[in-house]
Amino acid sequence: MTTYLVRRVLLSVPTVLGVATLIFLLVHLLPGDPARVIAGVNATPADVERIRHQLGLDQPGWQQYLSFLGRLAHGDLGTSTHTLNPVTSEIAARALYTAELAALSIVIAIAVGVAAGVVAATRRNTAMDLLISGAAIAGVSIPVYWLGLMLVVLFAIDLRVLPAAGAGGPTSIVLPAITLAFFSVGFIARQTRSAMLEVLGQDFVRTARAKGAGERRVLLRHALRNALLPVVTTIGLQFGTLLGGAVLTETVFAWPGIGRLLVDSIFFRDFPVVQGVVLLIAVAFIVVNLITDLVYAVVDPRIRYG
Amino acid sequence: MRNRSLTSLLLAGLVIAACGTGSTSSNTSAGPKHGDKLTIAVGIDPDTLDPAAQTTTTASQVVDMMAEPLVNIDEKGVVKPLLATKWDQSADGLSWTFTLRSGVKFSDGTPFNAQAVKFSIDRLINSKTQATQPGVLGGKSGIQSVDVVDDANVKFTLGSRFAPFAAAMTQTNAAIISPASASVAPNTLTHVVQPVGTGPYKFKDRQAGDHITLEANKDYWGQKPNYDTQVLKVVPDATSRESLIRAGQADVIALPPGNDLPALQHDNSLNVIMGPSDRTIQIVINTVDPKNTLLQKPAVRQALNYAVDKDAIIKTVLFGAAVPLDAPMSKALFGYCSVGSYKFDQSKAKQMLQAAGASGMTVKLLSPTGRYLQDSKVAEAVAGYLTQAGLKVEGPQTADWPTYLGTVNVAPARASTDLHLLGWAPAYMDASQQFQQFLPSQIPPAGLNTSYYGNPQVTELVTQGNTASDPGQRKKAYCDAQKIVWNDAPWIFLYNQRYPFVTTNKVKNVTGLPNEKFVTSWVSPA
Repeated sequence: MTTYLVRRVLLSVPTVLGVATLIFLLVHLLPGDPARVIAGVNATPADVERIRHQLGLDQPGWQQYLSFLGRLAHGDLGTSTHTLNPVTSEIAARALYTAELAALSIVIAIAVGVAAGVVAATRRNTAMDLLISGAAIAGVSIPVYWLGLMLVVLFAIDLRVLPAAGAGGPTSIVLPAITLAFFSVGFIARQTRSAMLEVLGQDFVRTARAKGAGERRVLLRHALRNALLPVVTTIGLQFGTLLGGAVLTETVFAWPGIGRLLVDSIFFRDFPVVQGVVLLIAVAFIVVNLITDLVYAVVDPRIRYG
Repeated sequence: MRNRSLTSLLLAGLVIAACGTGSTSSNTSAGPKHGDKLTIAVGIDPDTLDPAAQTTTTASQVVDMMAEPLVNIDEKGVVKPLLATKWDQSADGLSWTFTLRSGVKFSDGTPFNAQAVKFSIDRLINSKTQATQPGVLGGKSGIQSVDVVDDANVKFTLGSRFAPFAAAMTQTNAAIISPASASVAPNTLTHVVQPVGTGPYKFKDRQAGDHITLEANKDYWGQKPNYDTQVLKVVPDATSRESLIRAGQADVIALPPGNDLPALQHDNSLNVIMGPSDRTIQIVINTVDPKNTLLQKPAVRQALNYAVDKDAIIKTVLFGAAVPLDAPMSKALFGYCSVGSYKFDQSKAKQMLQAAGASGMTVKLLSPTGRYLQDSKVAEAVAGYLTQAGLKVEGPQTADWPTYLGTVNVAPARASTDLHLLGWAPAYMDASQQFQQFLPSQIPPAGLNTSYYGNPQVTELVTQGNTASDPGQRKKAYCDAQKIVWNDAPWIFLYNQRYPFVTTNKVKNVTGLPNEKFVTSWVSPA
């Protein structure tokens, strides 16, 4: 197990390096001059040049790349060209908001999605199944920003029970979390339903019923556990979708997370922050994939990592 | 694209909302003048609160509440005393002496005096200050030295004559901060994070991307603020800002979605204020276009001006949030004079194009998206009018701001568009700033004269206007120059944008300034 973990961590180093190189190239290929964007339209050429020099943007590209990698090796992501603060503190100020939002959303998505999937599978071809499957399709089809706005109109403007935007108090996360979870709920419900249907038709389920196990036990201990493997994969993959959705959700709800930080930084051509956020997302992906693989072993004891 | 669908969807949502509970009626009680917390939603998270590094009005508006310059402007754009009570220039126009208000203290208790002014302005023109933006105040022609005459008088020596110096000193980058505060963490001499000035509010806290909280400066030297705290929420999406004020969770919002202006105006619980602005919006014409030499002819450019119905665009695309231009600059600037109008006349336009051999000419149009009120939609409308006048219009192509800027801010030889929609807002209310758009010395990459226009007569008149010490003489020179620019038509002169903001009817006294700021420091409960 430990060897496996160490190997996985070592394998991720070239991946991170690859991502770092790719994102460095991509941001530097973007049209637009960061020094000009920072200086503003009324700035004199001297102002623009001074800012370009202060930010090191007057150095050749390869030199900027090497110093970027050199700093990265020391855990230093550089300085934001937009705010002049260290990138690590820019990200630190925002990452927790996204983590909170993504975590709550995935919890909602798993709880609601798995439950709905199990119910739909056991009531196959009933009105309930139809309703859940319909809702699941709606869930994966409704655009995040439309759903977000509709929830705001209902709960913030009409009923006035929840905040419309911002991260003011404990209730302010409710609407963004539901909005963000919606897509994943639909996806997980559909996966759970089909996996459950497959398992429910198998011999061991019949055996379990034959030996007199209660329906509840049959469903949860025997069927669901065996159906979970593809669902766990789905949940792992949903994480990526959540981060993508976070960009939109965070904009609609003015949630100060890294999704919005990323988009804003692209518009400001704030290269160090873009690089930092993308690297963070890449690392998060690697970690989530690792966790997913480890969870396999928990769900299915036949899987061993040595 | 996303914004467009967002707003139209919200419109649908608002219809539902209106059917559901009726309009959001207010539960006003005859409140006292004093208020606890005012919540303002703005679209941009200030990049920095360091006065010396200011470039955007939203950020400057926040800084203005904490730190004040020596002079500022009124609602009409006229320079008025603030921390200085009077100012004079020497006979040669190279030195300016400002007399300072006495008995003023910074919010950290440090006394405000000539030394503090010297400290702040030296910091602005010092190239070691991070991202400092001295603009016209710096460089070879700007401030060369700041001298403390005595506690209450400070003298600025300029590199060359500059008549609008006092106007330029109204900019937020010339705000005065407490010298002691600049070395108190988290501030450093080169980068101020929490400015300490003489303003009506003090910095309290900030969550990046979410909000900035300011608290009242109880010892403010002037009229005391009414609200204990003001919270500036950062809400980038216009539709989300609208949701906040409709939900009663914000008292003031900047820039609501353009196409919701009529709906907001019908809501009795809200006040839509069309704030003033010095921003002109124009279609800049490449006047030296080698690929399209017809655009080098003033008659063709005038024809393009006749071809576009400015009034209709203002009414239907901007929902009234603009006034048509009658000069190459906004009324708010010192030196403005009304010089004419290209009244929409399609047949005249066609006739002029034909006479110049320009019928059916192909033009390429570029517009930024999300930079100015309804920008790309206005460009679409302009493209429509030009097509009706018989031109072939490629575009409008749209691009995000940095890409757009990278495309138009290039030397004439590298120009790739014939026409582009551009907004220009002088940093201070003086014609000299607007004329940067029409001087050969400002042709990219040196400046942003992206029409590449130049006329020796105009240049001469502008130099007179920029240096003459007699205001009447300055006005005359600028006015004559405006007439020439208007006839040479390097732009399709569109409109002077307004800067709409919305308040609930529970608050009053939010005033808009022509530099696209709205002042909330003296807001009181209605």
